[in-house]
Amino acid sequence: MKLPFKINNKSKNLELFPNETLLHVLRNNNFTEVKCGCNEGECGSCTVLLDGKPVNSCQVLAMSVQEKEITTVKGIGTLYTPHLLQKSFVEAGADQCGFCSPGMVLASYSLLKENPKPTREEILTALDGNLCRCTGYVKIVDAVEMTAQKLQTNNLGME
Amino acid sequence: MKTSPKSIRGLVDVGKLNLNYIHHVDNHFSIGSASTYADVIRYSRKTGKLSMLAKALSEAASTPLRNRITIGGSLKDFPIWSSLYAPLLALNAQIEFIGKHDKIISLEEYLETGIIKTKHLIKRIIVEDEPHLIGGVKRFALIRFEYPLFTVAVALRAKKRIISEARIFITSVKGRHKHCKRAEHFLIDKELNDETIQQAGKHFAPKFVSDYKYSAEYKEHTAKVFFTDLLHELKGALK
Repeated sequence: MKLPFKINNKSKNLELFPNETLLHVLRNNNFTEVKCGCNEGECGSCTVLLDGKPVNSCQVLAMSVQEKEITTVKGIGTLYTPHLLQKSFVEAGADQCGFCSPGMVLASYSLLKENPKPTREEILTALDGNLCRCTGYVKIVDAVEMTAQKLQTNNLGME
Repeated sequence: MKTSPKSIRGLVDVGKLNLNYIHHVDNHFSIGSASTYADVIRYSRKTGKLSMLAKALSEAASTPLRNRITIGGSLKDFPIWSSLYAPLLALNAQIEFIGKHDKIISLEEYLETGIIKTKHLIKRIIVEDEPHLIGGVKRFALIRFEYPLFTVAVALRAKKRIISEARIFITSVKGRHKHCKRAEHFLIDKELNDETIQQAGKHFAPKFVSDYKYSAEYKEHTAKVFFTDLLHELKGALK
């Protein structure tokens, strides 16, 4: 069946089976920026924002979130017009294989929107559902701190 | 979701029952069963209330999961690693559910009478607002992300440092939860000092089951250490 969803500020008709998780519905409809890692809610690669809050899309039945606003990493910035946060990830060297990056960026985005001046401990808590096997996390946390710093210096919001 | 969604033949979306709320009315908190762990944590941050419960929930699972895990689902499921039950039991919480009969009963009765195993829909949890109650909760996990080995919660009421009421619960033990009445009785009418805490530890004897990682004796010893540590923290709060 085809049903309308609100994804990245646009209405999209997605092809789905009623028992499918949001992760698989998104990936089967070309939102491949949402990564499939553990499929058990442990790794956070499949993170999307539901009404602005990070969730593991592998733990969400697609049918139950039809009325919610879904944001994938492409919803906050693209390859040609990256968000400040995405630029900071590149500058800080927080990307290596890149598999965890969409989830990390979205979890960080949600944190900075709610708390523009997070402490290092608050950043660690916000990212506790996102695993990275390459970076050792230090540069990822640096990237979030760098973004917070830039937001304050330039008096910017997280939009 | 660990059981394959492919095996699901029918779905009822309880998300539209408007059970996602936290109200503070007549000296009681009413927490709708569809409220998530994150909802309770945010409410506590905003109001400074329900801090013991919020602390326990903020240490459970991970940020994206806390945005999805509901209070009602966790209560009905009661996994062995639950971080929710110990603080709620120590807070003397009540539970309202719809089943064969609509009822409001204490959470302890809900567990003791086996109602948890019957078919019903949990509507809300009711927690009394007790500003003079001091409480704390501790969970033992080797790493932040791991399921806890146990969760111990203590709530105390004291007058001039003399304890007048104590509620002590531990979960993940043999039989899933334990109301530690011996330790409670020992603490009543005593001043919370180092000597009392040391003695209270001897009256705190939860029984565990050995597993492939830890022996029952190791868990029992660790639980005692965590319990006395918690009492030391509360002693500081009583000052």
